[in-house]
Amino acid sequence: MRASLSRLLLMLVLSLAGSAAARAADARLMLPEFHTLEAKASESVSVTLDSSLLAMAARFLDPNRPEDAAARQIIAGLTGIYVRSFTFDSDFAYPKEDVASVRKQLSAPGWQQLVQVRSRKDHNDVDVYVRVEGDKTNGLAIIASEPREFTIVNIVGAIDLQKLHELEGHFGIPQLKLDDKK
Amino acid sequence: MSDDLEKQLREALRHVDPPPGFAARVSARTQSEQRHRWLAARHRWVPATLAASVLLSLLVAYGWQLRHEREQGLAARQQLIEALRLTGEKLDLAYRGVQDASKPAVPPDTGDT
Repeated sequence: MRASLSRLLLMLVLSLAGSAAARAADARLMLPEFHTLEAKASESVSVTLDSSLLAMAARFLDPNRPEDAAARQIIAGLTGIYVRSFTFDSDFAYPKEDVASVRKQLSAPGWQQLVQVRSRKDHNDVDVYVRVEGDKTNGLAIIASEPREFTIVNIVGAIDLQKLHELEGHFGIPQLKLDDKK
Repeated sequence: MSDDLEKQLREALRHVDPPPGFAARVSARTQSEQRHRWLAARHRWVPATLAASVLLSLLVAYGWQLRHEREQGLAARQQLIEALRLTGEKLDLAYRGVQDASKPAVPPDTGDT
């Protein structure tokens, strides 16, 4: 009786852990290989940081440097960061189908569009999506297409949007003083 | 009695010529022993050298692993900083887009002033 109870508890814990991992995995987008874009781009950035690489990167962050300290705070609770960014020498050199395939994944249940920007003047399109589970955000996706740049960001894990907002002033991002304007 | 003893001693201690090749065999054996001793002395450091080599190899491998891990870690850190920089940049772009959209439209200049 006792043995079966403990087995039941173990199964429950395993299934909960499995579902938590599955939830986090759901927030990871299947990013296309973008080989054609890479060939056309004058500059391309591809970042693939899974949980083990994030942990490794965290070990090499210097807490005395403000930039590193901010990064350490942001990545606490994250299980993956995936970025693909391409810069081109001419306007709109990238095929829209690649963007559409990623957008399609963001129409799946769980993803919510947080911001949609369509700038006719600058031709900048930015979409920010979050994946929400209960009252927790466990995924973020940004698709930014500018005339000469195309970027997809996918962050997986428990995201503190406040901490992301604190990116301002670090990593070369100008301080926007959002709080002062409230 | 004493004659017998003397006789026995004489018999026992009589001069006997060595068999043919005895001197050569003794000489060869002496040389062989000397050579063995020389080789033993010469190879006395072999186990110590082997042990030192193994230890040195382990230290080199450990050092290489540490260096490799450090390089990987620094590359991961660089990737992380780049990813956060791009994320911040695109969030900033979205924020500016929202700000621009929420700004009231500027009335066209009528040229009255």
